[in-house]
Amino acid sequence: MTSPRELIQNGLPLVAVGTACCVLLALVTGNRPVDLILTVVGGAWGSAESAMATLSKTPPLLLTGLAVSLAYRVGLLNIGGEGQLTLGALTTALVARSDWGLPGGFGLLPSLVCGAAAGALWAAPAMWLRQHRGVHEVISTLLLNYLALHLADYLVRGPLGDGSAMGRSAEIAPAAVIQPWFGSAVGGLGPAPLMALLLALGAWFWLERTVWGFEARAVGTNRQAAAAAGIAVSGWQWRLFLMSGALAGLAGGIEVAAVHHRFYAAFSPGYGYDGITVAFLAGADPAWLWAGALLLAGLRATDKWLQLALGISPNAIFVIEAVLLLTVACRTALAAGLERGFGRIAARLRSAGGGSS
Amino acid sequence: MTALDLLGMTLVSATPLLFAVVGGLVSELAGVINFALEGMMLAGAFAAVWASWASGSPWIGLLAGAGAGLLVGLLHGVASVILRANQIVSSIALNLLAAGATGMLLHQVFGAYGTSPTVAALPTLHALVPVPAAAAVSVMVPLAWLPVLVVGLGLERTVPGWRLRACGENPEAARAAGVPVTTVRLLAVAVSGLLAGLGGVSLAIGDLSQFVENLTHGRGYLAIAALILGRWKPFGVLAAALLFGFGQAAAEFLAVRWAGFPSQVFLAFPYLLCLLVLLGGRGIHRPPSALGRW
Repeated sequence: MTSPRELIQNGLPLVAVGTACCVLLALVTGNRPVDLILTVVGGAWGSAESAMATLSKTPPLLLTGLAVSLAYRVGLLNIGGEGQLTLGALTTALVARSDWGLPGGFGLLPSLVCGAAAGALWAAPAMWLRQHRGVHEVISTLLLNYLALHLADYLVRGPLGDGSAMGRSAEIAPAAVIQPWFGSAVGGLGPAPLMALLLALGAWFWLERTVWGFEARAVGTNRQAAAAAGIAVSGWQWRLFLMSGALAGLAGGIEVAAVHHRFYAAFSPGYGYDGITVAFLAGADPAWLWAGALLLAGLRATDKWLQLALGISPNAIFVIEAVLLLTVACRTALAAGLERGFGRIAARLRSAGGGSS
Repeated sequence: MTALDLLGMTLVSATPLLFAVVGGLVSELAGVINFALEGMMLAGAFAAVWASWASGSPWIGLLAGAGAGLLVGLLHGVASVILRANQIVSSIALNLLAAGATGMLLHQVFGAYGTSPTVAALPTLHALVPVPAAAAVSVMVPLAWLPVLVVGLGLERTVPGWRLRACGENPEAARAAGVPVTTVRLLAVAVSGLLAGLGGVSLAIGDLSQFVENLTHGRGYLAIAALILGRWKPFGVLAAALLFGFGQAAAEFLAVRWAGFPSQVFLAFPYLLCLLVLLGGRGIHRPPSALGRW
């Protein structure tokens, strides 16, 4: 796990850049920076209801973030979360239409397992293309996203819809619903965020504390060295990539079971792509994904307030997200550059001091 | 519709791809992964509409679109060449930035969500060739062939072209031979952005005369697929761009013929074609050796 010192080193530039970005956005749109920042923070955490809404947005973000992180730890970039999530959600919604007669909480299992399987299935062609055709997985997963979105759109408006003209599937059976602890059935807060957090922590334990996890990490750190040490490189890449797809599919499944209780056309508001930001904000460390997920969920929960209170297009959220992602991507170089710069100044001061004395 | 119409539609659909794929070629042969073509095109498209609307001249729009693409290219260059960010992550961030910023500015500038008002578009070939089919073909369509030829010949036949490729194959050797690798790469990414920006221009004020949110709709990613399929060779990527252009044109062509078919089939067709072609490709496609490395 990252030390608190590292956390401050990594977190401070993000807070600074995020704030600067908000100030700039406010100036461009003719608002007072204070209002914008208060809206962003208050919209997400200002009241019990808004905090609950923010928290209930975390599971898909945490799980797609975990999906990107796991693949990244074996040196792969899964950008296909959006398509995997969409098909996972559709599959879950379809399987969950019937009650499987399982006792208690097990009623959730068939639909969620099928959703995860659908996600893994949609990730598989990308891995095959990489290993047998040398096609970078970023391209193949993106193409698969477009296919998945059009496929799901066709299915839910056509053969698998509920017969209405709304572009949605039938409501799922009560046994397959993740019941909320607080609030109403729709928009309440249930155990889903906790389930996602436990999965992320489990993944952390698996990666950091087991032999298998060690082998997988070795593949990501140095492929040649891992192969020389007798680790099955392509085997681990396959396994973690499929796991990654399954987690993205599960993200969609949980979203259906906990929030929407059915599948809609245009189901995901970009959660698959947000997973990339969540993963890189957390440095692809499953133990810290919750922080990235909370941040992104907060931004997501804020977008309608930006529009209502300040008249700014919800797209502003993407600008903030992009700037944060860019900062994280450049963070190592920025930190090293700063350190070098300070080191050089310190050395010059020292030599100047030495020369005069 | 006739076969001639299909040919015309193929050339029109291939045009934005052609600009973008040549841009991607320049960047990747210099050793910088450029998955930000999508964002560069989107920025170019929006800037073209904005400038054309503000000035009334589509030519100013064309310049602004190229400039906006160049700007995104420079951002990618600074992040990935100078600050040594992961080039794929930087690309993803810039795509997100372009999507967010154009959507936001669309609302700020035009007070509209989704679509901009109609602006002055670039002239069509109808003035030169007075046949009805030419009325749908903007000047960008023939112009798109220029970068392919210039870049193709330049990379294969000139010293600067060899230097650029040396930066992508073996930057250490290039540096030892006195090539300023960082500068060359930065310039290559900037030019890449400019070309992709022109691709956006051809969509926004060539094919259409307005900006629509997420106008590029994955064409930047298709361009990268065309780059892989064309094996990083100028005339290979030209053929790949034409193939994907044909895919789009055929989908539109058939969507009219077989109106009873679900529309999603036609919308997904270009991406499906692209995946199938990549699946069927023989052998491993080899990118420039130092792609993504320093």
